[in-house]
Amino acid sequence: MASLLKEQKKAKGKRKADAMDVDEAELVPTAKKPRNKQRVLMLSSRGINHRMRHLMNDLEALLPHVKKDSKLDSKNHLNLLPELADLHNCNNTLYFEARRHEDLYMWAAKTPNGPSIKMHVQNVHTMDELKMTGNCLKGSRGILSFDKAFDETEWGKLTKELFTHIFGVPPQARKAKPFVDHVLTFSILDNKIWFRNFQIIEKDPLQPNGPPQMSLTEIGPRFVLTPIRIFEGAFSGATVYSNPEFVTPAAVRSAMRREKGDKYGNRKHAQAERGMRKELRKREDDELAVAKVFA
Amino acid sequence: MAKLMKALGEDGLDELAQEQLRALEDSEEEGSDEDEDDEEVGEASGDEDEGVEDADEAEGSDEEEADPAAQAGPSEEVAIPMDELSDEEMLDEDAMPRQKVEIDNKIALERIRSTIALDPSLPWTETLTVSYPEAIDVDIDDDLNRELAFYKQALHGAQTARSLAQKHNFPFTRPADYFAEMVKSDSHMERIRQRLLDESAGLKRSEEKRKEREGKKFGKQVQLEKIKERQQNKKEIEERLKGLKRKRKGAMDGADDGEDFDVAVEDALADRPSKRAKGPNGKSKLPRTARDKKFGFGGAGRRSKQNTKDSTDSFVQRGGPGGKKGGKGGKGAKAAPKRPGKSKRMAQRSRT
Repeated sequence: MASLLKEQKKAKGKRKADAMDVDEAELVPTAKKPRNKQRVLMLSSRGINHRMRHLMNDLEALLPHVKKDSKLDSKNHLNLLPELADLHNCNNTLYFEARRHEDLYMWAAKTPNGPSIKMHVQNVHTMDELKMTGNCLKGSRGILSFDKAFDETEWGKLTKELFTHIFGVPPQARKAKPFVDHVLTFSILDNKIWFRNFQIIEKDPLQPNGPPQMSLTEIGPRFVLTPIRIFEGAFSGATVYSNPEFVTPAAVRSAMRREKGDKYGNRKHAQAERGMRKELRKREDDELAVAKVFA
Repeated sequence: MAKLMKALGEDGLDELAQEQLRALEDSEEEGSDEDEDDEEVGEASGDEDEGVEDADEAEGSDEEEADPAAQAGPSEEVAIPMDELSDEEMLDEDAMPRQKVEIDNKIALERIRSTIALDPSLPWTETLTVSYPEAIDVDIDDDLNRELAFYKQALHGAQTARSLAQKHNFPFTRPADYFAEMVKSDSHMERIRQRLLDESAGLKRSEEKRKEREGKKFGKQVQLEKIKERQQNKKEIEERLKGLKRKRKGAMDGADDGEDFDVAVEDALADRPSKRAKGPNGKSKLPRTARDKKFGFGGAGRRSKQNTKDSTDSFVQRGGPGGKKGGKGGKGAKAAPKRPGKSKRMAQRSRT
């Protein structure tokens, strides 16, 4: 990544998002240890609700290399985002897009030249919930754990790479702390990416002098991501992957409403039908009908 | 669509019915036919509405998926269902769930990945990434097992990371004296702690309550058993006594077997849990004097309240609540009452 950017920079003679990297590279052109330089711009669209906002705050607290920016005004001009990231010296972008005040989409993108992944975020639980009892240092570097399913598909591999950049805290991050005390797990289950964050407890607090027994407690947040599409560029470009199973939440809701509506329609229909059958069953006037005989 | 199918089916049925009816009478048939027509019109209008809704929805979902590149203009699907709603086949097609085009351009994905991939010569400490060698395959609705699988993955990650950190000479464990700002504030952690405490206290309380309830149930049982036992004892003793009496029937007629009988009765009752069995020799533990002292002996007898010759003769006032009244009474006894009795008064009146 870095080398590629460097080349580009040389070609164009223009500073790109990896400016810091480039600066150091200029100072010490050779015999430089390869480094993982990542900075992430995090921002949201307008119309996010409290839960989404808290999720963003949690991620910001967990990832010290994140730069948070103000909300993006327009949902139609996502092409502004790479520029914005460039302004903040970021080479990754996490963009949270809220739709209809209830659906949350997450864009994870490498900003100058892609790729970008659009995902639907569901089942959000934030760190504020009292059920998650773990805690960790603010800005400590977490371990990233990916399950095997990421290596089985091409899009999984790409997602893993991208998440390594975005969720992995680089060692040089300003606010990073030197120790490791939490694990971020990404697991693919049911074609969705499940995110969990656990605290690592190396000693049992009940018997501090006993043998070191590693255990975990959940810190939060937790959420589930459904990948929708992967684009070649940053918030643009050709689609290189699309999830055929993804159904928009709006469609799901409307289907549910439709079902409800169907219920009413079916009932009305049955009523009309019954009326008709009754009409058909009616016998014609008889000579010996009671009404005629005793008229 | 189902509705439409139903409508069609209904039409078919009606045709059959019509044929049957035709044989019967003409006028009625016409009436039913008219009804049918009306209904069909209503149905059609309903379908129209539905079609419009479909179109709207399609628009909405398109908007949702609107990615800057893939979809530039408004999609064509919006226009299609609007023009010919009466055509049933059109409706058919429209109601079908839209088949999404799957794109999985593996070559492009690989190329992109190679462009962004980190330098493979980077030491592990730069990324801290760990792969879990197993794929998670659990029922997603089974919360417990699912979370357990995630936990296992995380634990595996943490353990491998620790060993890797040792290998890379990378500080992993936080020393006990390293304090820094945490992700969750102290007040928040205090709230969590309080909640845990409350939870455990609630559990304890409910456990206690449960125990108590069970104890109550058990206590009742014990009481019942005791009552039963007592009754059983009583019965037994009665039986023994009866047996004894029967045995002694002949002997009782004899002269002085009284003492013998008493002893026998006592023997029979010996195992009855009562106050009778006091000491080993049937003697009380306390000596006579002590018992007298404890329980009282003598004292005012039965006739202590009866009048005696002395009490009758003496005019000493006895203590009592009506001491003063007694005095008055004494006076009254000397002076005649002012108002005579009724009979006397009547007699006086008749005399005068």
